[in-house]
Amino acid sequence: MKKEFKAIAKIFVVFSAGLTVMSSCVSDPDSSGLEYMPDMYRSPAVEPYVDYGRIQGEEHMDLKMKQSAMRPPHRTVPYYGTDSAKVAMMLPYHRKASSAANTTHGLYESEGWILSDSVDTEYNKAKADKNPIRITPENYDMIMDEGERIYESKCQHCHGEEGNGKGPMVESGAYAGVPDYKNLQDLGDGQVFYSIYYGKGAMGAHSMILDKEEIWTLVHYVNQFRFDDYGDFELNEEPVSDSLNVNEEAASDSLEVEE
Amino acid sequence: MFNKGNKWLFALFATLFLMTSTSSFAQDGEALFNAKCATCHQPHQDMTGPKLYEVRKKWEDGGAADGSIYQWVKNWQVAAANDPYAKEVSAWSPTAMSFFADLSNEQIDAIFDYVDAQPMPSAGGDGGAVADAGGAQTSQEQETSLGWIWYIIAGIFVVIILSVGGVRRQLQHIDEDGEPQVTYGDEIKQWIFRNRKSVGVGVLVIVLALIVGLFLQLYQIGVVTAYQPSQPIQFPHDIHAGTNGIDCKYCHNSVDKSKSAGVPTVNVCMNCHKQIKGAGEQVEQIAKIYEAAGFNPEGPGAYTGETENLVWNKVHSLPDHVYFNHSQHVVVGGIDCKQCHGDMTKQKELPRVVPVEELNQIEGNVQLTKPTLTMGWCIECHGEKEIANGPVSGKGGGYYEEIHKRLLENDESLYEDYLEDGKVTVKELGGWECAKCHY
Repeated sequence: MKKEFKAIAKIFVVFSAGLTVMSSCVSDPDSSGLEYMPDMYRSPAVEPYVDYGRIQGEEHMDLKMKQSAMRPPHRTVPYYGTDSAKVAMMLPYHRKASSAANTTHGLYESEGWILSDSVDTEYNKAKADKNPIRITPENYDMIMDEGERIYESKCQHCHGEEGNGKGPMVESGAYAGVPDYKNLQDLGDGQVFYSIYYGKGAMGAHSMILDKEEIWTLVHYVNQFRFDDYGDFELNEEPVSDSLNVNEEAASDSLEVEE
Repeated sequence: MFNKGNKWLFALFATLFLMTSTSSFAQDGEALFNAKCATCHQPHQDMTGPKLYEVRKKWEDGGAADGSIYQWVKNWQVAAANDPYAKEVSAWSPTAMSFFADLSNEQIDAIFDYVDAQPMPSAGGDGGAVADAGGAQTSQEQETSLGWIWYIIAGIFVVIILSVGGVRRQLQHIDEDGEPQVTYGDEIKQWIFRNRKSVGVGVLVIVLALIVGLFLQLYQIGVVTAYQPSQPIQFPHDIHAGTNGIDCKYCHNSVDKSKSAGVPTVNVCMNCHKQIKGAGEQVEQIAKIYEAAGFNPEGPGAYTGETENLVWNKVHSLPDHVYFNHSQHVVVGGIDCKQCHGDMTKQKELPRVVPVEELNQIEGNVQLTKPTLTMGWCIECHGEKEIANGPVSGKGGGYYEEIHKRLLENDESLYEDYLEDGKVTVKELGGWECAKCHY
């Protein structure tokens, strides 16, 4: 008699345990539910945004809840093909960040940022830097299209569609202090680049989300807001901005890496 | 009479003149403030530069030399060299102020007059959405924990009933000495035999129900519709992408370069939140960004270097045996984010896998029937989506135009077969090949 009771109790325990397991899988908001073949879901090779606490059935406590999206090692340069002009443009930026950038813009030296000795020397020097992307009547439309595409997703919400500093962020009252590009006519192209790359004042550094080619393209696009007659090749025998005719010497000068 | 009228007229003109002159003065101050100062200064909030409200009074109270503040605006280095108070001010932040040598003392006064006339912004703001999201989260958690309690209580009751039954039976056996022992099994067998017809029907119904239930459960395996995991920060997409009009690609900025769209690093948050400190419920949430970035929001704000990781929970996971590339879909295919992720400009709560029924309600979306993020859903779209209208072909001489041309040249009848429904779909260009996504 005792035996039978035990058997029923055993079945009951198994049944209730199964029920709780099933229900816990379904109702926990942090669980995405049952998986068909878990060993085919988790990549043994490292992928971004995957938790490697459990790989192929093995628990790795040291990897649990750890970041799997990693930054490349310091000073690595991605491969940009064999076009030497493009490679030269994509080499690490030769201007250092402001000496205060670690406190004002979070550019920590421990994360590989190189700070200069002074607050604004490098920024002032950048005035002489030329845009390595040359603009001509032939490529003008293409560069402006590309610039618009980048501007729309990365700049427009603050700086506004017309570049007047009245983007939706400012209009909604969430953010203030965005300048009208028209008031920034005395900046050199290199200073616009420097400001986008390392940030300036309230604006943060954008070099993490834009590469150098994209930033130089944006400099062209922003110049169109700063100068009414930018890119008007017939009107201007003399270019409105020094970036319109960059000679080879100046280009190689600006790309020299300072030690 | 004439004299009196003249006087009145004079007074009227005088007032009008005064009014217009003062308002133009104020406008002058506003225009100058916006053009020269607003990038770094605000009337009531410290930003890159300190707040400017009643700054002349502040300098006077602080013991600054007379006229030193005007000198400061024109060239702060000269002012700092001559006035100890100005030197003190220069230590406020490491960011150096620009020189404004072209401003006259009257213009500087006009700017300060304009700033002093600005009303204090009212506290409060848009904290409601965050509070809602928080509330929904806790109630959901409570429901889950209640469910557990019910299972435990039910379990305890069944154990009690069984054990009481066992005790009763033991006591019965003590009474009926010598009788052959009747076990549970025997009794149940007898009862089944007596009611064999109804038991048979009942068992059939139960077995069928279990089979149907089993299959329904199996269909749910690997389907993550409406999955909405908790997150370290109650991030409201509607405020960011909706009210403030931030493009999805600003924060998810690797979407057009990489396989994964990218969860923004905290420095992207800081591009705006260095200034936006939030109101009400938001303050606590935004403080978590500051903690992660190592940022002290006091005064001008300064990074401390003591950073921490923010551990977000991934919402849209695909199994490792599926290859999905965001850049291919967004850049080449020209698919809008909302086709798969829904209208995030209205998503008040945490992000989730949006059920296909909701996706179908969005204007411009391809209408699909299979659950979101299942293979059926993917290939259904590949079978529907036309490839001619991508941005790549739009630029002229594009990839897809070339494909159309080659199809026409190689096998015109096949091309016409493809165009029977009026379009060339992804499927017809190999979008249903297994190796397209599984390799």
